[in-house]
Amino acid sequence: MTVKVKVWDLPLRLFHWALVLAVGFAVVTGEIGGSWADWHGRFGLIVLGLLFFRLIWGFIGSNHARFASFVPTPARIAAYLQGGWEGIGHNPLGALAVLALLGLAGLQVGTGLFANDDIAFQGPLAGLVDKPVSDKLTGLHATAFYVLAALIGLHVAAIVFYVRVKKHNLVKPMLTGTKQVPRELAVPATGHSLGRFAVAAIAAGVLVWTITDGLPDRLTKALDVQASVAGPAW
Amino acid sequence: MKSKLLLTLIIGAASAAAVAGPIEDQIRFRQSAYSFVGWNCAKIKNQVIDHPETYNKDQVVAAASAIAATANSGLGGLFGAGTDKGTGWKTTRLKSEFFQQPDDAKNAGVAFITEANALAKVAETGKIDDIKAQFGKLGEACKGCHDKFRTKE
Ligand code: HEC
Ligand code: HEM
Ligand code: HEM
Repeated sequence: MTVKVKVWDLPLRLFHWALVLAVGFAVVTGEIGGSWADWHGRFGLIVLGLLFFRLIWGFIGSNHARFASFVPTPARIAAYLQGGWEGIGHNPLGALAVLALLGLAGLQVGTGLFANDDIAFQGPLAGLVDKPVSDKLTGLHATAFYVLAALIGLHVAAIVFYVRVKKHNLVKPMLTGTKQVPRELAVPATGHSLGRFAVAAIAAGVLVWTITDGLPDRLTKALDVQASVAGPAW
Repeated sequence: MKSKLLLTLIIGAASAAAVAGPIEDQIRFRQSAYSFVGWNCAKIKNQVIDHPETYNKDQVVAAASAIAATANSGLGGLFGAGTDKGTGWKTTRLKSEFFQQPDDAKNAGVAFITEANALAKVAETGKIDDIKAQFGKLGEACKGCHDKFRTKE
């Protein structure tokens, strides 16, 4: 006897698909450069905002979205591998991948904020560190991308594996929010609300704004050639 | 005491040796040339894209001509064999692929010259949208060479 139950709240689903789009555009614009470099930075900042949102939502979102409900402790993973895990949110192994994806996306964005392309583009915080440090973080930004890309590949491969081999469609719930599950497991998503969504979204927006525009110029303009230390006009 | 002095002299001589010589000279001039180009690109970006209200035609023309003049100065001459290893102002980031794929290397160098000359021309017109578009193409030429022939930090 199975019943239909709400598993992913709407903000979480919006987060996921917005993340897919923003990361996709950031990758493409990052590879092209040129006039697209500025757009790369903008999409990257959208990713940053989404990650801030997800971090907050992991504490105030609905039960299945909360980190506490799916943090993959060794005991949970062991139980899962022995077939003893029951639940409808992220399974413990999937949760490991989820946290790794979020962490690596964070590393990607975090290094990007301090990166520069030596041409005409730099992250909003590049001026906070010395040029050699910014160069090192730029290198890390490029390297981290390979790891992130591999993990995204694994993520998508795992989902295809679930759909094809285990005959378990995980994509539909991420789109519609609902899953068909045995009655005894049917714990519906609760605890989310428009108000909580607004709090998380506004807090994420304020954090991104602080990083891009809210810091004092004297901190962030160190690399700016037109800074107040400019010499005479000839 | 004496040995310390000697040590200082030896280290001094060794580090002096590291920055002299034709290879190191080429690397140093190369790094200086690209830094100078980078400075001029930053000025254009600032006036044309980030703060168009500060656009000053003469300054942008000056920056674009400086880039074009540097591009046309024969930069290829600073990529002599063996300059993929050594220290100029700092350790070079030129990849040895530059010498293994001479055709691609040439294309990258020529693309820079072409786009830089086009930018200098467009800067004279004072049409800010055209300058912006051509500046983007120049940036892609820089990135094309960096992605291929410059090591990641
Ligand atoms: C033909 C290839 C090529 C092109 C085209 C090119 N670069 Fe470079 N650039 C290099 C290489 C190689 C280095 C590393 C030089 C070294 O360390 O020996 C470099 C280094 C630099 C540096 C760092 C200099 C330093 O040592 O601190 C800057 C800044 C730079 N390039 C800007 C630009 C800009 C801006 C453009 C386009 C307008 C451009 N480059 C076009 C190959 C190129
Ligand atoms: C998840 C978000 C992001 C992804 C997936 C991403 C990905 C990439 C990729 C693939 C490149 C090309 C690397 C290469 O040269 O090989 C790149 C370059 C770059 N990115 Fe990002 N990026 C992200 C966010 C950001 C952010 C937020 C910033 C800053 C605002 C930023 C700043 C830069 C800079 C300055 C470069 C040029 C580095 C270079 O030319 O070597 N990135 N990024
Ligand atoms: C088209 C490609 C993608 C598909 C089909 C897809 C699908 C899914 C599905 C079905 C889930 C739910 C997994 C579960 O039931 O436990 C999920 C979760 C997740 N995916 Fe993707 N995904 C894709 C791309 C990406 C990309 C590019 C990223 C970002 C780097 C990403 C990051 C995440 C994260 C962080 C979660 C956890 C959701 C959460 O709890 O916050 N996904 N994805």
